[in-house]
Amino acid sequence: MDQHLKILVVDDFATMRKVIRNLLKQVGYENIVEAEDGITAFRALKSQKIDLIISDWNMPNMTGLELLKTVRADEELKITPFLMVTAEALQDNVIAAVKAGVSNYIVKPFTAEVLNEKIKKIIEKLA
Amino acid sequence: MTGNALTKLVNDLASDLVFLDDREIDIPASGKFMNRLEAIAKAAEPLKINELIHISTGLNHILEKIVFGNLHDPELGYDTFEKGIVLMQEISEKYEQTGHYQGDIQPFLNAVVRVIGVVVSTDSLCQNDIPAPVQGTGDRAQIQDVSLVKDFISEGLEYIDEIEVNILNLEQDPDNGETINTIFRPFHSIKGVASFLNLEKIRDLAHNLENLLDKARNMEIRVTPPLIDVILDGADALKAMILQLKDEIENQPVKPLNIDLLVLLQRIQVVEKSDKEAPLTQKLGEILVSDGLLTEIDINRAVRSALAPPVKKLGEVLIEEGKVTPRQVSQALRKQTEQATDASTLRVDVHKLDDLIDMVGELVITQSMIQEDLSRQINADKNLMRDIALFSRIMTSLQRTSMKLRMIPIRQTFQRMSRLIRDLAKSAGKPVVIEMQGEETEIDRKMIDEIYNPLVHMVRNAIDHGLETPAERIRAGKPEKGLVSLRAYHRGGNIVIEISDDGRGLNKGRIIDKAFKKGLISNAENLSDQDVYKLILLPGLSTAEQVTDVSGRGVGMDVVKQAVEKLRGKIDIDSAAGRGTTLSTSFPLTLAIIDGMIVKVGSEVYVIPTMAIRQALRPVRDHYNCVVNKGETIKVMGQLLPLVRLYDLFGIEPLRRDPWDSIVVVVEGENRTKCLLVDEIIGKAEVVIKSLGAGLKHINGVSGGAILGDGRIGLILDPEGIFELSEGKI
Repeated sequence: MDQHLKILVVDDFATMRKVIRNLLKQVGYENIVEAEDGITAFRALKSQKIDLIISDWNMPNMTGLELLKTVRADEELKITPFLMVTAEALQDNVIAAVKAGVSNYIVKPFTAEVLNEKIKKIIEKLA
Repeated sequence: MTGNALTKLVNDLASDLVFLDDREIDIPASGKFMNRLEAIAKAAEPLKINELIHISTGLNHILEKIVFGNLHDPELGYDTFEKGIVLMQEISEKYEQTGHYQGDIQPFLNAVVRVIGVVVSTDSLCQNDIPAPVQGTGDRAQIQDVSLVKDFISEGLEYIDEIEVNILNLEQDPDNGETINTIFRPFHSIKGVASFLNLEKIRDLAHNLENLLDKARNMEIRVTPPLIDVILDGADALKAMILQLKDEIENQPVKPLNIDLLVLLQRIQVVEKSDKEAPLTQKLGEILVSDGLLTEIDINRAVRSALAPPVKKLGEVLIEEGKVTPRQVSQALRKQTEQATDASTLRVDVHKLDDLIDMVGELVITQSMIQEDLSRQINADKNLMRDIALFSRIMTSLQRTSMKLRMIPIRQTFQRMSRLIRDLAKSAGKPVVIEMQGEETEIDRKMIDEIYNPLVHMVRNAIDHGLETPAERIRAGKPEKGLVSLRAYHRGGNIVIEISDDGRGLNKGRIIDKAFKKGLISNAENLSDQDVYKLILLPGLSTAEQVTDVSGRGVGMDVVKQAVEKLRGKIDIDSAAGRGTTLSTSFPLTLAIIDGMIVKVGSEVYVIPTMAIRQALRPVRDHYNCVVNKGETIKVMGQLLPLVRLYDLFGIEPLRRDPWDSIVVVVEGENRTKCLLVDEIIGKAEVVIKSLGAGLKHINGVSGGAILGDGRIGLILDPEGIFELSEGKI
């Protein structure tokens, strides 16, 4: 249904981006853009219409949380759905992301189904 | 903040709840509520409305449960949340109107407890009593995508190399959080992908290392040499496992992992538990061993049983086993505390230190100027003379102390080298034992970085060419493992660093042959063993292939020699056929002071580094030659050496123009020797090197300036630069 969604995957580890890309493909999302850190991600967000951001927590230059805060502070991107990928649901990290306005979070490793569920939940809210 | 504003905050919260769809609090809504609750608690604090603070704490707990997805009854959760907000409205309104609230909030807090299943603590918002959420569906992704694994292998290896580079930076600057982060991140990423690819061993190890670094980053534990070692070993193990994976994918025979992962994980745990406060001191076990009470084997056994559950302290185990008396343990513990206080150090910015040393240098110069002025006065005050003498003694020791400030032990360099040796030996298939002596020997901090490269070159040679393969060693009746020792000690004003191996040694005969063929020597009869060995430092003898068949030593040894000489050091070589080779390099302790000969040309004064001077002489007239197109030469000990007239190069009017009237100083450059013509030699002195400032950075022939005893400035000559000037290269 929402398979045309344009998804931005942000992670500094190229293999990880590929993992997520593969998982997304498994559940039918093909329109995927990648960025290797928060700064390039933000540039991508400003230059094209992105429907969903999936970002890693721990990245050089600009962390996932910093990216989230930057996105939320931006007038155009304020409501862009943001799914944070974290390593083991470190409580403080998750709460910090929630307070900063994250749409949802997902704990590594995850299956395509869990990922799909989270995405659906976020998108339904928007509709 | 007034009660009125507080009521408004609470009402905002309530209206947010009203506009919520389907009575469901999702994650974005939780975030919004959390921020609102935080603001309310903050506003209530100065007004001392504790009821509001407690309720918001309770509601926060409910929200956290929602976020982590482990609220067992969402409906009840929502109801309780709603009740809480209504209660908050009531309380804030009461406070606004009457200034107090008489109701009891305990029943509500109890209800919260029923929802979240824990007692609401009234003191803090962030209690860590909520368990981590259950991961996904529990059914892990099964991606056995080969191309993905391949990507992981190449990227993972890249990341590990990065770790190795960064950890060396960490060793230099252990408190730098950003450096720790750059090491943390690769482990984190490797763990993340490994978990998707079901590579459990890799994931677990990376996870443990990541945890360790996380603690270091949060200053829970300190970055100590054991921590760095364990991380390096961990990185090695990860690399080995990834390489195994690579072999597996490429259908190659998989090399067995000769690393005990359990031991490694245990070591990680030990480092992780190390006490933040006393990490730099000797361990209890080490003290007991050095007191001669126990052997290391005893300690190792005791450490193992102390770590096994039930966890006990090492001292307890040892006493229970009857190995030591309680008194001995307590003595050792006392020693340990003493060490902890001894180790009190202060971190100071190097620039500040350099400034201080600079100022002290200036002070020394001023002092010697005063002294000289005074000595010229015929009727100088006796008391003043005595005071100045005392003053200069104090100055000398002040200068010595300030120089010492910049000195650090060579330990770090040795550790870096020993790691390199291990790695090189491993890849060359030659197991080695590394022996280190004199790690505490101190050297100028600036020198540490400079000497590293030449040392690495020498170590490489020792392993590549000096050591035999295990099979050869056994045939020669030597232990299978080669021995490489690093030694450092002070001799005179120098630090001596020796690198020895117990390998095959240099082959004298073949070196002589080769040198003879190359025309580097004319006959070998007058050469001592030392002289012969030094031939390997000559350029002609050290191009790679040739050297391997000469003696198996010397890839770029001429480069090493140059690098060492640039630091005003020198190399000595000692070797015994079949028993090994020792390369001993000596460096000045600091680059800030130079031993120089002060010479005069016309009215100018120059300093020539003593290291570069071979001799100084007044030539006889017959030894002077002038050949067309070849220039002027002076015959010195049978050799014709080019003459360089310094006054020509610098455009000075000299006192004398004929070499037989003045003095020539025979100076060695990188690979040639020339005679410098000067008017007279004033003396020899240790001078503090001053840079000429940014504007005069690259003056050829001059490496710096020095303020001399009489207050005059003398330029320090750079022989190589002078030679180039004289050859008209510039």
